[in-house]
Amino acid sequence: MILYDYVLSASCYKLRLMAALLGQPLTLRAVNFHPGREHKSPQMLALNPQGTLPILQDGDLVLTQSADMLRHLTRDHPDWRGADDPWLSFAADLNASLGLARLHDILCYPADIYAVRRAGVQQLRQLEAHLAEQRFDGLTFLTGSRPTIADIACFPNTALAPDGGVSLDVYPSIRLWMRAIRSLPGFIEMPGIHRLHELERPS
Amino acid sequence: MDWVAVGLCEDVPAGTVVPRRVLGTDLAIWRSATGKFHAWGDRCPHRGMRLSHGFVRGEVLSCIYHGWQYGTDGACGYIPAHPNLTPPKTICAQTYPCNQHDDAIWVTLSGTDQPLPDVGGCRPVRSLDFAVPAADIAAWFGQSLAPVITVAAPHDLHIALQPSTDNACMVHAFAPADQDRKAVSRYLEQIRADIEEAA
Repeated sequence: MILYDYVLSASCYKLRLMAALLGQPLTLRAVNFHPGREHKSPQMLALNPQGTLPILQDGDLVLTQSADMLRHLTRDHPDWRGADDPWLSFAADLNASLGLARLHDILCYPADIYAVRRAGVQQLRQLEAHLAEQRFDGLTFLTGSRPTIADIACFPNTALAPDGGVSLDVYPSIRLWMRAIRSLPGFIEMPGIHRLHELERPS
Repeated sequence: MDWVAVGLCEDVPAGTVVPRRVLGTDLAIWRSATGKFHAWGDRCPHRGMRLSHGFVRGEVLSCIYHGWQYGTDGACGYIPAHPNLTPPKTICAQTYPCNQHDDAIWVTLSGTDQPLPDVGGCRPVRSLDFAVPAADIAAWFGQSLAPVITVAAPHDLHIALQPSTDNACMVHAFAPADQDRKAVSRYLEQIRADIEEAA
């Protein structure tokens, strides 16, 4: 399985993280997204006419939507699936708000920055309210007591919100949820999302 | 100044640290492995990194930047880059009085002889940020600003107010055990929408 990957992309990280948690080997092909705009090169457009990353190639199958890729990676792992669909759509909304705010701040993408930050805060408040209600029922993750692709889809853009100028200081349930994800066996980090240092370093 | 609630104990498990802002002062609230809460200025004396980005091991808070370790008295006890150095006493985090009472974490920036506020034996529900001054929330319920206000109908709430800045605050809500916490949470969301709309 080949992932066409950019290390700073929140959406690419969804797949790197999911594969790591599953123990699924992944061949990473680094794409010079910035400043090279290699994802818009003729070779990459031949693979994905939309000119976006990530791209997941599994034999003849080529997937260009991160939600489809998460479903594909977990097709033989029913324990990683739940009532995911609304959350995969919510993850797309996060990508359009917090994700765009971050690309604006770190890679100078054009954006109505105040509008996307405002939208991001509204979504974080929804996420916080849902996770607080889950905690009343003794549940840690978005769809239950176990993590599913819903959590992995929503985690990166949430955790990277500060890169786009949106603070996570005021969301206790989101912080505990992020902590639970960062505690999962096999968790890997990316620039801006570090591992839990309070855990002893694995030998 | 009086005691201010900075969070619910259950939101800060042992071995974690969270950032909180009280009247414009940034704090790192951390809880040691034995469960004791501490409130420090959110700034490492070394390079000014936020200590709330740090990590807790045992009874020590470490800065994420260079790993300087601070014991429960705020004093730096160990500098990894200079393992044989005994750090001078002058390297010390800014510490504030901090206490746990009624499932809430209370802080005072300047010391107080007031007893810790009471939440009427209620159980914690949740904390929410409001994009309005804390006084506006008290006024909404016809009260003046206090560490804890009571809101009788419809859920018989005790609400601890944490003024964060001149125009933002945190609300820490407590309700009797017979109240449905989801209903209370949704009521608080509605109140927030109404108060922010009116601001």
